Amino acid sequence: MSETWVVAIDIGGTFTDAVAFGSGGSLRVAKVPSTPEDPSRGLVDAVVELAAAGVPPEGVTLVSHGTTVATNAVLTGRMARVVLLATEGFRDVLGYRDGTRPDIYSLEPERPSELVPRRDRLEVHERMSSGGVVTPLTDREAARAVRQVASRKPEAVAVALLFSYLDDRHERELGDALRRRLPGVPVTLSSEVAREFREYPRTATAALNAGLRPVVGRYLLEARSRLEGLGVRAPLLVMQSNGGCAPAERAEREAHRMVLSGPAGGVTGLVALGARHGLDKLISLDMGGTSLDVCLVEGGTPPVVPSLRIDGHPILAPSVNIETLGAGGGSIVRVDRSGRLRVGPESAGADPGPAAYARGGKDATVTDAHVVAGTLSGGTHLAGRLALDEDAAREVVGRVADDLGLPVAKATRGILAVTMAHITRALRRVSVERGIDPRGFTMVAFGGAGPLHAGLILRELGLAGVLVPPHPGLFSAAGLVAADLRIDASRTVLALHDPARFQDVLAWYCDTSADLVGQLREDGVARSRVRLVASVDCRYRGQGYELNVLLRNISRAGLRALRGDFDRQHRSVYGHASQEEPVELVALRLSAFGGLPHAEPPAAARGGSAPRADAKVGERRLLLPSEQRAVRAAVYRRDLLRAGNRVQGPAIVEQMDSTTLVLSGQSARVDLHGNLWIREGGR
Amino acid sequence: MTAARRRALDPITFELVHAALLSAAEEMGGVLKRSSYSPIIRDMEDFSCAIFAADGDLVAQADYIPAQLGAMSLVVKSILTRWGSEIADGDVFMANHPFLGAMHTPDINIITPVFVGGRLFGWTGATAHHLDVGGVNPGTEGPALEQVYAEGLVLAPVRLYLAGRENRDVISILTENIRDPLSTISDLRAQRAACLLGSARLRETIERWGAPTVRTVFRQALDAAERAVRAALAELPDGEGEAEGFMDDDGRGGPPTRIHVRLSKRGDELAIDLSGCAPQVAGALNVPWASTRAGLVYAVRVLTDPHLSSNEGVLRPLHVVCPLGNVLNPRPPAAVSVRHNTCQRLADTIVRAAAEIWPEKAVGGSSVAFFGINVESVSPVTGHASVLSDVVGGGTGAHRGGDGIDGVDTYMSNVGLMPVEVAETNYSVRIERTELIAGSQGPGTFEGGMGIRRDYRVLDRPHRATFYGEQTIPEFRPRGVRGGGDAAPTNVLLFDPQGRPVPVPPKVSTTLEAGSLVRVETSGGGGYGPPEGRAPGLRDADRADARLP
Repeated sequence: MSETWVVAIDIGGTFTDAVAFGSGGSLRVAKVPSTPEDPSRGLVDAVVELAAAGVPPEGVTLVSHGTTVATNAVLTGRMARVVLLATEGFRDVLGYRDGTRPDIYSLEPERPSELVPRRDRLEVHERMSSGGVVTPLTDREAARAVRQVASRKPEAVAVALLFSYLDDRHERELGDALRRRLPGVPVTLSSEVAREFREYPRTATAALNAGLRPVVGRYLLEARSRLEGLGVRAPLLVMQSNGGCAPAERAEREAHRMVLSGPAGGVTGLVALGARHGLDKLISLDMGGTSLDVCLVEGGTPPVVPSLRIDGHPILAPSVNIETLGAGGGSIVRVDRSGRLRVGPESAGADPGPAAYARGGKDATVTDAHVVAGTLSGGTHLAGRLALDEDAAREVVGRVADDLGLPVAKATRGILAVTMAHITRALRRVSVERGIDPRGFTMVAFGGAGPLHAGLILRELGLAGVLVPPHPGLFSAAGLVAADLRIDASRTVLALHDPARFQDVLAWYCDTSADLVGQLREDGVARSRVRLVASVDCRYRGQGYELNVLLRNISRAGLRALRGDFDRQHRSVYGHASQEEPVELVALRLSAFGGLPHAEPPAAARGGSAPRADAKVGERRLLLPSEQRAVRAAVYRRDLLRAGNRVQGPAIVEQMDSTTLVLSGQSARVDLHGNLWIREGGR
Repeated sequence: MTAARRRALDPITFELVHAALLSAAEEMGGVLKRSSYSPIIRDMEDFSCAIFAADGDLVAQADYIPAQLGAMSLVVKSILTRWGSEIADGDVFMANHPFLGAMHTPDINIITPVFVGGRLFGWTGATAHHLDVGGVNPGTEGPALEQVYAEGLVLAPVRLYLAGRENRDVISILTENIRDPLSTISDLRAQRAACLLGSARLRETIERWGAPTVRTVFRQALDAAERAVRAALAELPDGEGEAEGFMDDDGRGGPPTRIHVRLSKRGDELAIDLSGCAPQVAGALNVPWASTRAGLVYAVRVLTDPHLSSNEGVLRPLHVVCPLGNVLNPRPPAAVSVRHNTCQRLADTIVRAAAEIWPEKAVGGSSVAFFGINVESVSPVTGHASVLSDVVGGGTGAHRGGDGIDGVDTYMSNVGLMPVEVAETNYSVRIERTELIAGSQGPGTFEGGMGIRRDYRVLDRPHRATFYGEQTIPEFRPRGVRGGGDAAPTNVLLFDPQGRPVPVPPKVSTTLEAGSLVRVETSGGGGYGPPEGRAPGLRDADRADARLP
């Protein structure tokens, strides 16, 4: 029987990455430029390149896909035109948002973008409250509202009424009438996409869902027909913000859950890697040209938060907790008017990019400092496509050195040291906000610039070690195949923890379980491969925010145990608990996971502890922030290193899509899967 | 290390140590946010954390809310004055005294000394807004209060911990004088945890770089901030400008309170003369000195460089005149609890005075209505008694780059609007309407942001309530600039259960009958440039969006 393939394709801002795992243990990779104006073309290019590398389209059994199509639509404002229907007196909730402004220290701030302009925000005469219906919705009024919506000729409609998380009857009536009147136009009800309290985030979520559905729908339709045109008959799964996949049809219905589709692959890859190596404390460092994504994973489950923000807009959808920091290879280095050395927050981005890219960049950047330091060399090909202009880098870094009044070597080391100080400062803040001490964590470094900085961070933060995967530039893509299907449901209840309410609560969990299991069955997942995780957001009565507590099982006993579990969790987070205070159940949450077959990474070729002679391709003089003078470092080719090989720092390991730096006093070892482990000491 | 080298630390070492100090302050903020109990700290970020030199000069601050810029430094200096040689390792000080360096009684400062080799090396501090510290009014604040003694428990620096041991006497005094001891004590613990982490980080930094280097960085951080302000000022043309603005009253229904600012910029220095402001007033609109200072740091930052480190050095190029007894520098026992309203007016007036000198920096006035409402209430869902506390923003001013922002908090604060679904679940009120007000914004080539209309109806039974708004007097509305039009003033209205208007002053503590309705209409922002200059595309959009009445 011929080999079958599981394919992962990740469309990023600049490159589209593809990885194919063969049933016989083989691995094929492809990297093509992204095509933002017609994103499914990049997808096709990747599949064609994989085919050239020996992956026949008809042998593909599954395609997992991460895409920035939803993210880009929000960021560039290219969503469908949405008409919003809101409770009378509240059409402007998308105008005043949460009442805060994004940039406190600017007197000339840019006006925040509006999800729906005021002309398309309409009202309907009705009102619910926490105690039930205050003003009923009459048939006549519903008909009038529907006519008014239709007269605006919407591409999509969102209905978001006050208190619909408690009682969705008015929303459903309007939804039915709108769907009858406007066939073919997606109609989103806030109670369907986000049954949670607080009107602004719920309304924004409904509007984003409505605005994204036509865009995502069009894209997925095109992607599928183009894949079929190439002979790929496999189902298309789309990564969601929660770190789980959804079949294309559901992904379209729940388009607002796709905003982290790209970076979530890195997180699932991280979790799978941790499971494989028995590591339960991991930090990911995904560093590219303009930004740095960080995620901390403890205990083998991806950290998921109940909502996220994009371009200032909140989305109520469970999302992997990734922190994005404005530090990348393109961060601009300058001396300010008070004589201080500044690194970022401005970035030269990818275009014009660092001076060393020779695309007209005039500012010194972190990448330029690396070129002068010798850690990146003119011969190094970033992402396999670009040569570096060393003279241009020396010129701009020289200017910064002059401004500082320091010799170039000292200034270069200084720039790298200050860059590291900023990155570690951000990592410390992110860790402490999650109550985590990063010492004892292993850092997984990927993206083009992650492996270049990981050894420095290892030393600065006192981490346990660093792991650089075999293809750092393809790690997010490869991570896509580690995901399972996932569906999330939630409902705000705001009820006291009281046995009298248990029956209602259990009824919701039972109905919702049946619904989610049914949806997964339609996706072809047997009940035996479905896993349900139930939890409740709880707080003490009167407290302003809540803690998410796992429900041991969906039963009266489980609900009874919740009280003690909440007290314990509260004590561990806040240092105290109040056993005598009543506890309030704020929201019920249920996630269903449908297990998918996962590809194992192929084994690496074995070697002895010393790398083969031809793996060492030269020596370079490096200026390292950790050293007072220049050091000579061996340069290795990653593709010629073998499992079992050890490399003593200072050393540089080069490969097509990344460069790894090993400091003096550190050593690197290649494991059986081809991962490169960096540790302090060793020999 | 020799004295000469200490004076000339290389710029790289300076940046590395400085980053470590900022990192420590930010980590303190992370701990406080994560382990605090109240949403005002966790969600609204009404707190700050900082590191101080031994003499109390602020070196590094993680600032979250402009109202607390440079906060705490005066408190540390009060601790030094009051406790001097008795200060010991393991002590934790607590203070909220507006006349001993604090801002108003709800902002409680927790400060810990850091000793190295038996000598006082520096301090770490965390200050946070607590919803209630006792006093006559639920929520402590009240515009009509006449003395600080009515504003809850007043604490001169006292020791919450003595050499590592909790001072239970102080805890007892606290718990018996405030309305929600559980939240307050929990949040104080979180503040102390933040300080302890900051102290540990400061010690690590000293171990790594040596005490003399860190001490030098302390000094140079102030010098660097001073240099940054001087460099920014030197780039601007010299000149003089003045502006006046008014509070509607004195907090108690009396005459308007004048705020007057005269700026004079020469070379790399800026003189700020506040002596034309009204004398301190009878009500609680007085601004303690620490808050006035925060207003000046905020103004310097928005006028020169938004990324400035807000340490003590920022103030050095400023020459401030503000005599004691002025509303911005009151004598005890003046009441100060709603000082924030006056701070907003101060910020607005400085920005307008600056535009006299630097016309290109002119921006339309932002709303300083800062409408606040506290209603004593009961949750219809859980039966829990509590205080509804809401703040309603307005429009921001238009500027050379574009229109202002609709319906937001302005200038020195950034507090969110309470969701209707939270308000009606936790309190017996119905919010019947929250909308942007067409025509409330100043017209112009670029228009101001719109103000907000919000209706609160109290249900079921009579409710005790305090509410206060500014800019209700038309002359005090937000101004347009460079030919742009003025915005509409604020309105505070009361209707009886039958819907008949009831005359009410804009600042009042009263009892609301069941079924009565409080309506606020906040001011929009001022316009920029002549309305005739507005681009046709924008005009069409205004019409389509019904932004005009």
